[in-house]
Amino acid sequence: MRIQGTLLWGLLAPALGLMALFYVVPLGVYFLNSFHLFRDGRIIPVWTLATYVEFFTDPFSYRIIGRSLQLAVIVTSLTILVAYPVAYALHTRVARPGVRAALALLLFSPLMVSVVVRTYGWLILLANQGLVNTLLRAARVIETPLTLLFNMPGVVISLTHIFLPFAIFPMYSVMGKLDLTLKEAARDLGAGWWDTFTHITLPLTMPGVVAAALICFTLSLSAFVTPQLLGGGRVQVLPLAVYNSTVEINWPAGAVAGLVLLVLSILAVRALNAVIRRLPGV
Amino acid sequence: MAPDAPSRGAEVEVRAITKRFGAVVAVRSVSFVIRGGEFFSLLGPSGCGKTTTLRVIGGFEHADEGEVAIGGTPMGRTPPNRRPTNMVFQRLALFPHYTVFENVAFGLRMKRLPEEEIRQRVGEALELVQMPGLAGRKISELSGGQQQRVALARALVNRPRVLLLDEPLSSLDLKLRLQMQEELKRLQRELGTTFVSVTHDPGEALAMSDRVGVMDSGILHQVGAPMEIYERPRNRFVANFIGDANLIDGVVQGTDGDTVAVRAGGVVVRARRAGWEQIGQTLTVCVRPERIQIGAAADLPNAFRGRVEDWAFSGSMVKYRLAAGPVRLHAAVPYLNGAPLFQVGEEVAAGWDPMQAVLVPTEAAAPGAGGGP
Ligand SMILES: Nc1ncnc2c1ncn2[C@@H]1O[C@H](COP(=O)(O)OP(=O)(O)O)[C@@H](O)[C@H]1O
Ligand SMILES: [Mg+2]
Repeated sequence: MRIQGTLLWGLLAPALGLMALFYVVPLGVYFLNSFHLFRDGRIIPVWTLATYVEFFTDPFSYRIIGRSLQLAVIVTSLTILVAYPVAYALHTRVARPGVRAALALLLFSPLMVSVVVRTYGWLILLANQGLVNTLLRAARVIETPLTLLFNMPGVVISLTHIFLPFAIFPMYSVMGKLDLTLKEAARDLGAGWWDTFTHITLPLTMPGVVAAALICFTLSLSAFVTPQLLGGGRVQVLPLAVYNSTVEINWPAGAVAGLVLLVLSILAVRALNAVIRRLPGV
Repeated sequence: MAPDAPSRGAEVEVRAITKRFGAVVAVRSVSFVIRGGEFFSLLGPSGCGKTTTLRVIGGFEHADEGEVAIGGTPMGRTPPNRRPTNMVFQRLALFPHYTVFENVAFGLRMKRLPEEEIRQRVGEALELVQMPGLAGRKISELSGGQQQRVALARALVNRPRVLLLDEPLSSLDLKLRLQMQEELKRLQRELGTTFVSVTHDPGEALAMSDRVGVMDSGILHQVGAPMEIYERPRNRFVANFIGDANLIDGVVQGTDGDTVAVRAGGVVVRARRAGWEQIGQTLTVCVRPERIQIGAAADLPNAFRGRVEDWAFSGSMVKYRLAAGPVRLHAAVPYLNGAPLFQVGEEVAAGWDPMQAVLVPTEAAAPGAGGGP
């Protein structure tokens, strides 16, 4: 079916309108504000690069950027390490479509809970007297409780948990397109399970892994509620800087930090897309 | 065609294997023996259980009953990577992320052979399938025929005792298919490897194989040399599936030396005795169209008059449809320049040498089907 020009624009109009109103316009306002100045609790509408200069000459900015990237890399790696085996098991071990659908629903269920509620749940689980520490001590794995709250580990655990479904499904869908006779051919040529996995399954499902990494990386980079509530002020990332500046009505500083965040995300997307293009098709 | 393949005794023994998929019985108590160095084909229509049988031999499926022995060793549940077999898959299953070289090298890499030896053997294998110089290509840059050759090289480079081929030529167009048939036969003869091929194309099975097993609905009906199964099909299914056949139902009237007289409608036809026929029994006479003689058939012991209903010219042959009472016959007569052509409606004498016609049971399945060499 071919859709004609006018009809196409008609169909796209509502979405384009919403994008313009709630994305392009605010971004524009943001962009303009980044060229203003904030002095003595007021925004001074002059045109200057001073706010940029302040941001890029302040060592604290680089600590924040570093923290953001570090968090994104750790969370992305962990999420993929946990999600890949889950996707693989779903693909190879679960044959019945009904069971698959039920498991998929279960995997997505964390997303049905509000981020704030879920974060408070983690507060309870990860506290010094929380379930995780109690169990670890009961199992005599540790003697003194681990500090899992208001620091990096807490944020990492919580973000990894919530990003799992976003990582599992792209990988699972690529695995579904994998020609299973390729695995049989590898077995036929003498490969055991491990060789088949490393030479055939993993390389041919890399597009799914990279797609998952792209999603997790950008989501981690822009995560706000979790670092705010579970970071206890110790996990200073870009979205927090944006938020803090904005509540102080320092829009110019918030705008600069926000644009830096945007540029980092775009760079990450472009880098991972370049990787995808080099990968073999399934 | 080489019926005198070097015999090295039983290389593959398939003993009464049965394989079910849920309610579907894909293979029903199939037994046969493949000799060393033989080109063996499993032939049958789509869905008859050929692939399943091949996969049981290769270790990709495990039989519910029965067992497979290769080179005298029972295979039990040995996985494919530890069987002395290699498979050429129906859809080839070449690794898309590897070059031609790496595809062919895969099996040798799994054996952790030294790089030097891998290089040499891959080169030899590519030469064997007449593909030298394309080692660096990507799989997607190859034609269908070239991919076919890579798949063959990838299997043969491992020097398997038994090469399994699942419809190896089905993806190729007719001309290339005929060329590859010859080439497979040449490879098999040169290497002396036991080939087990699966096909739904009778022409392909007859052209390439030393022996053919004919399957239908999970049952192995007959195993024999191509000429043997063509000349002496054991039942209606085999007769019909391999080449054209006139199948004439009738009642046994009596025997005379080596031949049997069978009354079909108003006509008595004669066939070679089978040994199991009894007087008064209803059975079927099978005679191939090219064995029927027309016109000059009057002196045959088995001649009757028929009327030409139709004819068609096919280049080397003229095919006639004859009616002799209620019996309809197809006859194929070689077309020679100037030979008399019978016209529609013409009365002709038709007949055949009784020793050229065989008896088969009237029902589709033969009694005691299950085969054996
Ligand atoms: N993995 C499977 N699951 C269920 N049924 C199968 C499976 N493989 C084969 N079958 C069934 O077994 C029968 C024989 O199949 P197959 O051996 O592939 O036939 P062929 O190769 O002769 O076309 C068919 O009815 C097919 O549907
Ligand atoms: Mg098949």
